[in-house]
Amino acid sequence: MAAMPQRGGSREREGKPTGRKKFFVRRRKVCKFCAEKLEYVDWKDVKLLQSFIPERGKILPRRISGTCALHQRKLQTAIKRARSIALLPYVTD
Amino acid sequence: MRLYDIVVLLTPDLSEDEAGKVIGDYRKILTDGGAEMVRDETWGRRKLAYPIGRKRDAYYHHFQVNAQPPIITETERRLKLSDQVLRHLAVRADDELKRAAKAAERQKRKAARRPPRPAPVPAEAAPAEIPIPERSE
Repeated sequence: MAAMPQRGGSREREGKPTGRKKFFVRRRKVCKFCAEKLEYVDWKDVKLLQSFIPERGKILPRRISGTCALHQRKLQTAIKRARSIALLPYVTD
Repeated sequence: MRLYDIVVLLTPDLSEDEAGKVIGDYRKILTDGGAEMVRDETWGRRKLAYPIGRKRDAYYHHFQVNAQPPIITETERRLKLSDQVLRHLAVRADDELKRAAKAAERQKRKAARRPPRPAPVPAEAAPAEIPIPERSE
């Protein structure tokens, strides 16, 4: 865990050819809501919320989606509301 | 007056017409209480993301109303009592929307202020980008 912020996860390193040393291009993640200037995260918009729900039904972490803290918080409440009226699953297996 | 979003889920045991009638009852409760309808839309019969009380789908209806808090409390109380209502959710929306509008306003102002600066930045950024492809080749 401690090494992650500097290296950005070991998964990416293994995938790349080893010829280049310590250098790989990683796309910078941008908060989707900031980029599209969506200030209000609508909990009724299933399509939007679904893009932040992987197969398992969990909420996609910020570390992966790149969402900013503010919008992740709003997204979180939106997803939880949508779950309570069965628009989104709590769990799927 | 506050803005509320209310979503109601009705049992799939009802027919389309019956569901419409039940929704009509709640619409009446809201408007009789002095609520002002902003949005009133039926999403129709939808599959539930998980079963609720052995039911796999439900009729969804969404109200967006401008109302005083007591009317919402009363409507919620009745929604809870009804057997035809599988589930409901009433959430206040105006505070969030207001904050969003404010944030949008702030962004606009910022964008208006910004233009003079970006001009020199690309000039600096462009030469910096050139060495990178050379190194990777």
